[in-house]
Amino acid sequence: MKRFLFLILMFTLLIMSLFPLITMFYTAIIPEGNLTHVIKEKYLNDFEIKYIRYIKRKVKTYDGAKISISKDSPETKQSLKIDLEPDKTQRIALLTNDLDLRMMKNLSFFIKSDIKDFNIIFYDVDENQTKIEINNDSDKWHKISISYKLLKNREVDLKHITKIVFSFTPTKETSVFLDDFKIEYKYPTLLNFINVWKENNFAIYIFNSLIVAIIVVIGNIIFSTMVAYGFARREFFGKNVLFMIVLATMMIPPQTTIIPIFIIMKNLGWIDTYYALTIPFLVTPFGIFLLKQYIEQLPIELEQAAYVDGANTFQILFKIIFPLSKPAIAVMAINTFITSWNMLFYPLVMTTSKEMRTVQVGLALFQKFNQVDWPTLMAASSIIGIPVIIAFLIFQKHIISGITQGAVKG
Amino acid sequence: MKRQTKYNLETFILLLPFLIIFMIFGIFPIGYSFFMSFTDYSGINPHYNFVGLSNYIRAFQDEVFLIALKNTFIFVIGTIPFTTTFSLLLALLINSKHLPFKGLFKAGFFLPSVISMVVISTIWIYLYSANGFFNNMMKLFGMHALDTSWLASTKTALISIMIMDIWAAIGYYTILFLAGLQGIPGEVYEAASIDGASKKQTFFNITLPLLKPTLFFIISLNTIRSFQIFAEIFTMTGGGPSNSTQTVVHYLYQTSFRQFEMGYASAIAYILMAIIMVFTIIQKRLLRSDI
Repeated sequence: MKRFLFLILMFTLLIMSLFPLITMFYTAIIPEGNLTHVIKEKYLNDFEIKYIRYIKRKVKTYDGAKISISKDSPETKQSLKIDLEPDKTQRIALLTNDLDLRMMKNLSFFIKSDIKDFNIIFYDVDENQTKIEINNDSDKWHKISISYKLLKNREVDLKHITKIVFSFTPTKETSVFLDDFKIEYKYPTLLNFINVWKENNFAIYIFNSLIVAIIVVIGNIIFSTMVAYGFARREFFGKNVLFMIVLATMMIPPQTTIIPIFIIMKNLGWIDTYYALTIPFLVTPFGIFLLKQYIEQLPIELEQAAYVDGANTFQILFKIIFPLSKPAIAVMAINTFITSWNMLFYPLVMTTSKEMRTVQVGLALFQKFNQVDWPTLMAASSIIGIPVIIAFLIFQKHIISGITQGAVKG
Repeated sequence: MKRQTKYNLETFILLLPFLIIFMIFGIFPIGYSFFMSFTDYSGINPHYNFVGLSNYIRAFQDEVFLIALKNTFIFVIGTIPFTTTFSLLLALLINSKHLPFKGLFKAGFFLPSVISMVVISTIWIYLYSANGFFNNMMKLFGMHALDTSWLASTKTALISIMIMDIWAAIGYYTILFLAGLQGIPGEVYEAASIDGASKKQTFFNITLPLLKPTLFFIISLNTIRSFQIFAEIFTMTGGGPSNSTQTVVHYLYQTSFRQFEMGYASAIAYILMAIIMVFTIIQKRLLRSDI
């Protein structure tokens, strides 16, 4: 019993500790709103306002159609009544003020009319339009739904719908009643991710970060192993002093050196290039340190045997040391990747254009302008967090051992 | 003789890529920024004058820098005791022999640490926002919720960032504590239990003293990292509102890369480095004296 309670306690703590991440993923898949208030459906207009002049702000009429408020309604108190003249096409437009319909599942409304066929036309911000023909088979109140499938792949830009127009051509004088325009959203939806990816440069940021991280990791695999081998196995003048200096520079806050590095990069003309983002990190004290420890404890007999057989230093390095050091190289590589991916200050300073930004810089600047649209912002965060989370789930042991080794021995 | 030359040449080639990069981007900048801290170098205009110590004097008369320094100290002193205590407790809980699924808990608690500070900050901006999770929770429990984001008020901004940081750091230090705990040989505990030591005695007389090197390491690592807090501030508040979350490194960023006073910013960097060194030495004395 005690053990069971203990386990429950630990699970509670774990969920608390993961709560912000869960929140992020959850918010990224909701259509609109936030954690405590998910908007699954939204009324465009329910005509419940008392005065017709307020409704007239959102509903425009053309060609002689007249609108008024009616007390006849299927679910609520009021509806919109449209008086129509015979034998001519008359339209009313529902102004939607740049409505994004990409996440909708259905657009529905109630209608009571004896007109058999009428059209609904969607206009986007560029005045493109698309027409949907509605077959009205009942003259009582009933609900009509337009599904997303019907609207997609048409001429109109669903991201920016400005008005929805009803076009009636009655044969006699009649009235049409409309009520409860409602959008039902897809929920859950992956569209936030697609939007972030397509529209907000995140594909570029991710590409940049990947390139940078891959170059840095490869550089470290080659160069850090070379240096580590030098420190571990070879004698040279000032070896211990040099190693002490390397360790000492690990203690110096990077902010001390970033200004001169910026000036160097500026003089080299490397600002806003991959050179600036990668070259200083091609060989890092962390990598050297980790690999030196590992290579030192490898049995030296193999190298000696290879040497006796006539292998030179570089053959020994690439044919013996590299394969034997694979576990340590893996630890170093994955930790270097994560460090590189998560870096903010350095790429922030070294990039000036959008095209060269890395993910962290991109997100840090993106969020400053998108602090209301939480689903989009959380989708952006998730896109940037997911690669690292996946890497962690796969290489968990390597990452943890890299951190404890780098730390404990440091 | 020839063989010796070849050996040295090979060694040199092994070290060469490292030596070039390390000299240019590791060693040289340290000296160069020290040099710059005595000039009025802007970063744009190549001409500069020597101004002696006036950058350092200016820093201690600069109101914003002093606020930044104060905030950084509040941050360091306000977070480290909590981070250390919580992560030690968590490590002890995970290390308990009654706990199944150890690997799961270890990984689960560690997971937030691999995620970048920018992503974490973005999530917490959302949690702290005007109609975000925390405000809604306060309303739910009938407390007086803020009308605005917690980060928008001078009273709550810094402490909000501190709370986030404690949460974000716990997993990382838990893993380090766990490594330290697992380094304590089991025989010590066996001997203690044979001698009839209580759990409390075991903890205070065995675990804690043997954990002291880890504890020292964690506190000094955390101190160094906390003094360098930047990403959180840059992402969440940009130092605002009215400098209430301004920190040394964020101010350094603003003076060097926004206001282009790189000479002055270099002086700030050196002041920061001096503070970190002093702190590390003090901690070393305090925590290592009685081992």
